[in-house]
Amino acid sequence: MSLLLDIKNLKVDLPTERGTLQAVRGIDIQVKRGEMLCLVGESGCGKSMTSLALMGLLPSKAKRTADHMLFDGIDLQSLDERGMAQLRGARMSMIFQEPMTSLNPSYTLGDQLCEALRAHKKVTAAQARDRAVYLLERAGVPMAADRMRQYPHQLSGGLRQRVMIAMALMCEPDLIIADEPTTALDVTIQAQILRLIRELQKEFGTAVVFITHDLGVVARIADNVSVMYAGQVVEHAPVREIFAHPSHYYTSGLLNCIPVRGKTLPGSRLQSIPGVVPSLIGKVEGCTFANRCAHVREACIAPPNVQVDPTHTALCVDAVTLASLETA
Amino acid sequence: MLTYIFRRLLVALAVMMTVAVVSFMLLHLSGDLATAIAGPESSAADVEKIRIQYGLDRPITTQFFEWLWAALHLDFGRSFYFPNTVVELIGERLPITLKLGGISLLLAVLVAIPLGVAAALYRDSWVDRVALGIAVVGQAMPSFWFALTLILIFSVQLKWLPVAGNVSWQHFVLPAIALGYYAMPSLMRLTRAGMLDVLGSDYIRTARAKGLSRKRVVFKHALRNAIIPVVALAAVELGFMLGGSVVIESVYSMQGLGQLAWDSISRNDYPVVQAVVLIIAVFYIGLTFVADVLNAALDPRMRTR
Amino acid sequence: MSSPNITFGKPPLPLPAIPAWRRWTKRVLGHHGLTLGAIILLVIAIAALLAPWIAPHDPYEQDVTRRMIPPVWYAKGSWEFILGTDKLGRDYLSRLLYGARVSLIIGFMVTLISGVIGTTLGVLAGYFGGRVDAVVSYILTVRLAMPVVLVALAMASLVGGSLNVVILLLGLLLWDRFAIVTRSATQQLRDAEFIAAAKSLGASTPYIVIRELLPNLLSALLVVATLEMAHAILLESTLSFLGLGVQPPTPSWGLMVAEGKAYMFFQAWVILIPGIVLATLVLGINLLGDGLRDLTAPDGRN
Repeated sequence: MSLLLDIKNLKVDLPTERGTLQAVRGIDIQVKRGEMLCLVGESGCGKSMTSLALMGLLPSKAKRTADHMLFDGIDLQSLDERGMAQLRGARMSMIFQEPMTSLNPSYTLGDQLCEALRAHKKVTAAQARDRAVYLLERAGVPMAADRMRQYPHQLSGGLRQRVMIAMALMCEPDLIIADEPTTALDVTIQAQILRLIRELQKEFGTAVVFITHDLGVVARIADNVSVMYAGQVVEHAPVREIFAHPSHYYTSGLLNCIPVRGKTLPGSRLQSIPGVVPSLIGKVEGCTFANRCAHVREACIAPPNVQVDPTHTALCVDAVTLASLETA
Repeated sequence: MLTYIFRRLLVALAVMMTVAVVSFMLLHLSGDLATAIAGPESSAADVEKIRIQYGLDRPITTQFFEWLWAALHLDFGRSFYFPNTVVELIGERLPITLKLGGISLLLAVLVAIPLGVAAALYRDSWVDRVALGIAVVGQAMPSFWFALTLILIFSVQLKWLPVAGNVSWQHFVLPAIALGYYAMPSLMRLTRAGMLDVLGSDYIRTARAKGLSRKRVVFKHALRNAIIPVVALAAVELGFMLGGSVVIESVYSMQGLGQLAWDSISRNDYPVVQAVVLIIAVFYIGLTFVADVLNAALDPRMRTR
Repeated sequence: MSSPNITFGKPPLPLPAIPAWRRWTKRVLGHHGLTLGAIILLVIAIAALLAPWIAPHDPYEQDVTRRMIPPVWYAKGSWEFILGTDKLGRDYLSRLLYGARVSLIIGFMVTLISGVIGTTLGVLAGYFGGRVDAVVSYILTVRLAMPVVLVALAMASLVGGSLNVVILLLGLLLWDRFAIVTRSATQQLRDAEFIAAAKSLGASTPYIVIRELLPNLLSALLVVATLEMAHAILLESTLSFLGLGVQPPTPSWGLMVAEGKAYMFFQAWVILIPGIVLATLVLGINLLGDGLRDLTAPDGRN
């Protein structure tokens, strides 16, 4: 099956007062149709920048380069702003993190929903409205028809996020990029929204790039996982593989941090990864995780991208060794 | 929303009353009105006669309440200089000043908003710098001087427009420019600041992510929200213009309320002065009230509480 | 297992230490508006200060035999009177220089008086809140509702115009912006932690206000002060233009425009020159104020 999204060696540079910040340093992304890829990493690892780079929504000062950026065969790098605008919303849409501020307070929900569709397809107002109501209902918004006339401030955060999801689906896009859509919500609502996204994805066959920092989320919904650290993808594998055979010290470090019921004794110290993320300004030599890794040695000056499995790569000298370990 | 309006109305009335008191007191306590009216060459006996004639010998509180009572019946007395009542005089001149203020505000807004939007969209470019430059220079020139210079250029050198009077629409062009240019910079800056603020907000990012055209993002989504405080400011600026029209009207001999006020001050025609101060204050209060209501009405967050 | 001491993993970048004062100077000088404004103000201030020494003639000396001589760049001009003479034969340049003194003195004094009044009211309202705030806000609303120009004109006509009267009147009328800004700034600072810390140490209210609050208001105050100074200078020129400000023969730029008005159709320079100088001074002050605002609160807090 051909790839829907094929990105190779994506780099994003941001000029700052103190030098050039290399936010994204040469990552590859491959997503098939209907697939759910989770991009997981801590704050500052470059995952949000990646999503903005894909949509062409980077700040004007940012510089984006890649060997190729293909979306369903379309070369994204060759498109100007108007070309990108035609794709956005229609074939690739995005859901953002803060539902409270992501909707225009001065227009009704119906207006904003219909606008998403009518900007790209020639439909009547009535048709647009019908579709909006349908999607709101599918997204779990009660009394959808009435909601159309309401304003964003009249809805709770969870409801607003459902509206955002419905809005992203208005044109039946091939790809949805969701940038931590549940982080700002209550835990109970989080679970509902996650389930909703997964259901809709299966129903509409949309590919999703789901960005999160929460491994629990990854476990629940991902097909494939890319672990990001300091602007690089340090490991990529199907979800089961990542949890069963983490092949990078960062990944295994992350997994160790999660307390496990039954295993972690009450009163014991929670694990954490020592050290801090290195500064991303200027060049970085060697493995970016080196200053926090207990197993660093000479070879780490040039960590290879090891293919542990046909579907599993890791950027570590010890990848193969780690992969053969059994984690419970 | 109704209780909000009602409360604001009460406060507005109280303020109007206070303004009446304060202006009355300021006038009567600044100096001896009788002496001023009588003039510098009159004798002490003349001054006394005038004092009694105009009731200026009575206690000040009595004078105030009498004036207030009459004022509530819209009787502001007679002018010392003209044969008309004050109300008649004001009725004659007010429409001219209102017309001037309206045109000036329109001009100011028509220049300020596009300039502000352009400055925000092309931030730090030459467009932005020119716009800010115009704003800064505009606020530096004294209004009377600008008015005179306009006359020099457009009436004398180019002979395009008349110098004085208020008969035709051409008579209003230069005064409107002179009066409006002072309000333009603050309106432009507010538009620019508002646009910059809004353009960085999340819902604009969402609008772009939906694939809306740049034009639609800027005008439908951004401007709609950024303009709210500008509209309110415009209402307030109109109030300032009414007060500041004194100089412009005098320079251009517009025979409006401002010129009436100035002439009356020069002629010590106090009933007129008092009444004009109150009228302008009433308008200002009314306009700030309108500004508040507009603010609330344009922001849906306030409407459906 | 080697120790994690190998440094090619890139520890955080150490930045070269730039002393604070050097950073600040760079920011100030880099801000073109601020620098330009400061230069303009400085030039005019120095000219005003040195007026008695650099003015070529006595600004009050009249000589009707040499009235209305145009500036030196006209055919009939001469280098003896570089900017010409006015209708009473007084040297224009000298009057301009002395007029600068009037404008600057008024600007400074009015800003001082209105600044004290406005800041006091604003801090009281912002710090104590509640009824004090309600009262001050009410006074503020009343003050804003009154047309300042008219009231000032009316009172000046009764009391008689003069330099001191103008200073007093404007000082007592122009405190509104000070009050508004200090009130909101105080409200924001009131809940700051360092105030709570001072209170918990038992500091008395006057102490808190003076030692903790005011220094933090300084930046906002400076910005407002420069803008109000420009405002005061413009108002004075308007009052003098209308004849109710500084009285002749004292040179005031506004007065000079008024005096020249009768001749402006044929000798435009009589009104153009004082107006340009006035605009330049106000421009300089405004640029300074805007620059200060940009430097101290680039996010538009002021």
